[in-house]
Amino acid sequence: MSDNKFPSPFEIETPPGAEGWQKMYNWYHLFGEERRELDENRFWFADRLHHPDVMHPYDEIQCECWWQALGAFNTRIFAMPPAHGVDQRILNGRLFITAVAAPAEDIPARAEEFAGRASHYYENWESIYIGWKAKVTAKLHEIRAIEFAPLPNLEPVETVEQHVGHSAGFRMVRDFERLVTTMYETYQYHFEMLNIGYAAYLNFFQLCKSAFPGIGDQSIAQMVGGLQVDLYRPDDELRRLAKEAERLGIAETVLDGSMNVEQLFERLSDDPNGKAWVADWNATSDPWFVINTDPGHPGGYHTYDTWADIPDIPMVSVREYLRRFRGGQNIDRDTAGVLRERDRITAEYRDLMSTEDHAAFDQAVALARLVFRYIEEHVLYIEHWMWATFWRKSKQLARTMAAMGYFDEAEDMFFLRRGEVTEAIYDLVVGWSVGTAPRGPGYWRPIIEERKGIFEALKAWEPPPALGPPPEEVNEPLTVMLWGINSDLVREWGQNDEGDGKTLRGVGASTGVVEGRARVLKHVSEMSSVQSGEILVCPATSPAWAPIFTRIAATVSDVGGIMSHTAIVCREYGIPAVVGTGNAVATITTGQRLRVDGNSGVVTLLD
Amino acid sequence: MHCLAATLWTNNVDRAHRVAQSLDVGFAWGEHLEAARPDQDDRSNDQPEPHVTAPYIVRIDNAGGADADLLGGKGASLARLTDAGLRVPPGFVVSTQAYRHAVLDGIRDQLDAAVAAVPAHASSDEMDAACARVRALVAAVELDEAVAESIHEAYLALGDDVAVAVRSSSAVEDSVEHSFAGEHDTYLWVRGVDEVIARVLDCWASMFTTRAMEYRRKAGLSGGGDAMAVVVQEMVEARAAGVFMTLDPENGDRSKIAVEAIWGLGEPLVSGTATPDSFKIDKVTGEVVHRSVVDKPIEMVRAEHGTGTATVEVAADRRETQSLTEDELAELLRLARIVEKHFGCPQDGEFAIKQGGGADSVYLVQSRPETVWSHRSVEKASTGATLMDSILSHLVPDRDAK
Repeated sequence: MSDNKFPSPFEIETPPGAEGWQKMYNWYHLFGEERRELDENRFWFADRLHHPDVMHPYDEIQCECWWQALGAFNTRIFAMPPAHGVDQRILNGRLFITAVAAPAEDIPARAEEFAGRASHYYENWESIYIGWKAKVTAKLHEIRAIEFAPLPNLEPVETVEQHVGHSAGFRMVRDFERLVTTMYETYQYHFEMLNIGYAAYLNFFQLCKSAFPGIGDQSIAQMVGGLQVDLYRPDDELRRLAKEAERLGIAETVLDGSMNVEQLFERLSDDPNGKAWVADWNATSDPWFVINTDPGHPGGYHTYDTWADIPDIPMVSVREYLRRFRGGQNIDRDTAGVLRERDRITAEYRDLMSTEDHAAFDQAVALARLVFRYIEEHVLYIEHWMWATFWRKSKQLARTMAAMGYFDEAEDMFFLRRGEVTEAIYDLVVGWSVGTAPRGPGYWRPIIEERKGIFEALKAWEPPPALGPPPEEVNEPLTVMLWGINSDLVREWGQNDEGDGKTLRGVGASTGVVEGRARVLKHVSEMSSVQSGEILVCPATSPAWAPIFTRIAATVSDVGGIMSHTAIVCREYGIPAVVGTGNAVATITTGQRLRVDGNSGVVTLLD
Repeated sequence: MHCLAATLWTNNVDRAHRVAQSLDVGFAWGEHLEAARPDQDDRSNDQPEPHVTAPYIVRIDNAGGADADLLGGKGASLARLTDAGLRVPPGFVVSTQAYRHAVLDGIRDQLDAAVAAVPAHASSDEMDAACARVRALVAAVELDEAVAESIHEAYLALGDDVAVAVRSSSAVEDSVEHSFAGEHDTYLWVRGVDEVIARVLDCWASMFTTRAMEYRRKAGLSGGGDAMAVVVQEMVEARAAGVFMTLDPENGDRSKIAVEAIWGLGEPLVSGTATPDSFKIDKVTGEVVHRSVVDKPIEMVRAEHGTGTATVEVAADRRETQSLTEDELAELLRLARIVEKHFGCPQDGEFAIKQGGGADSVYLVQSRPETVWSHRSVEKASTGATLMDSILSHLVPDRDAK
């Protein structure tokens, strides 16, 4: 593998027009001469799973949250034996990461610690998870309660009569800190159960691989999945709304594609049944349509709206389900069938094993199923609900500051780092408090102007898949499972650059072989262009993409491993998927004929 | 003693040691032939009783539980496959009893002398020539009325001038211990009772090819070959054919079946002269987890005049086409799983797809115990006594080594 040398991070040039990009990100997040020796000898890969696009300065907080939280839980709390945290660097606006191994001499002692600490969670998993949901739900209420509004000319009289004792300006300073801290705290909880959950899943995965070296990753996942989890609820709600439209006799109106959602809702409110359906939609929308539409990791950027923000996205799906329901199809998810199949294959693989393994297998599958609910559901609580709310409140703050004349437009705030936003709010509040003009508008304007130019210039840069010397083997179990990055893939990256451009390799995440025309989508809002039977080529999918899976023949994604959303959903729908190809979106064009081999993870361009 | 296995060909190891102790070099086979003779039985008690009154002919679909001693390995497995309700081309077995009667009783003295004349050193011209003389002797045996008549009747019962495959079915081949893969002869597209009888004699004679003799010698088996049955089975006009194994031969994974197939008859694949399409199928999910479709430039088909085979070029548009359909693969998986269950151990078998194709055109023409991985018991995959031990062993793979 060492033949495939990737560029050193210190050799990467700044794209023309992006000079000075470093000022957009926190200094501790960058490669620096002071630690060149350390950083140049590490293998970094582009984290396209979470951050396929250039990051806005403000959005750096997303990386900071997991940088620290994942590290602390692995390194300091659970003493994950082989792995410390995952280190991060930002280069040309893209995130690069590397797994930090625990020192070999520490591993035995860490293993002892881990056994005691992780056992406590495994043994009490159900009750801890109930407590976890309560903690996170409480944080969700807190963050939802935060409101930003332009500071009043004069404080309401209640401030005096109720002896509030502080000003709206102070509260703006305080509430921004609360917003950030609440999000940060929730991201601690995100990792509280995640990596030990993956360790339990890994145990089952490896046991199956030792017993059956050729077993498909997806067969293993199938033995564990299929539970009725909250993650599927948004899609179930779309199906339910479709059936409700039919029951209420408003299907024809709902299916009238000449109206957007706003027009449709207005038309429907003329009729009591229509009114009831719109009310149902609105009640459902919060929380079930608080679903991020990012192409990468859900909630990774502020720039993507939710279904609730753009109801036309879920409406496409409701209409599709409705058409099928009226056509006589059963549109309910076959949960019972999936569970039956899960139990059948579990029993049959068990029968093929040595009887000496049965006890270990039974324990491993039971624990893997126990943790799997968390592994699937945490995405809804944290990646969707928490992050969507965090970004919504951040945008409310930005609109507030723009309305007060501090920024020319709301979007400007996202070109400041979060620390700079703290400074700007104080500056704004001081100006308001003292009754004079803040320095900010004039101070920030040229900086924001310059950064917008840099941001555009960075977008044009195509990051290499990796930097630095590749290791002999990539075998850190969590990296392999979460990011889908393994030795073969790194080898492929080295080869794809010189390849004939006719094949792409990734991870076979859902079995089957299919040929068809490609439909390249960069964003879920383009979903309505997909024709039945096409092969979806996308950066990655999230639950926002759910309705598309009933129409497509296969999925090819740039990022993701066997436990990624795309992988899980494609297995659920029984369509082939190759994930983690690295550059399918950039390589493939809509209309091109492809062969997708979900068994071997190979995508062949046939035209 | 320089090499026990090379000089003593016997199916009884204890006996071999006894004999070996009394010899410096040389041959135990004259003596061994004595031992193998049913009427002079001096076998130890764990040897099966000879079939003194056994029939010369046994129908594959009415074998009454007869085993490899009477039907040979191949014949017995076909009988059991048929018994399990699997699709096997109809046919009959010319039993070891027929061989014993015709050869061991008929030309015993000449055979003993001819076998004793085969020199010791392997792969020499002299050995070839001596083996050829043994074969000529066997192939020229005159069948007595009773044996010839039974073959005639059984052949006619298959139909009018039916084309058949005539295949050697030795009593020791295809056991768990020895595969004997391809060591004995097979004749395809044989027609007419005289031809069938001639090919049966050829099969008997094929016990004495240099190759077969050497194989037996290396395996420590009887030099004379104590029993050879012959399977006579209706030909399947094969569009494609191949082999299957009820585990993954690369790693012993018992959740997979491996399939290889080529166009036409399976002989070029079995003899290793053709590169096949290959597949691995998961037994539980039915997924084809590996698939390799290769260029197949030639195929073996029935010769134009109707008997024997010919090797012809494959039409350009078929060469790189997959030789089995998805339905046929699914059917093979189903059959292989039944076979494995029925025999109670991993199997390695052959199949043919009748012209016309489709799931109900898949015929099994052979199944035998897999010989490599079957010797190993299913290995324990789990590590450690507790769930946490197991979790740690996977997080820190070399933990146990420390």
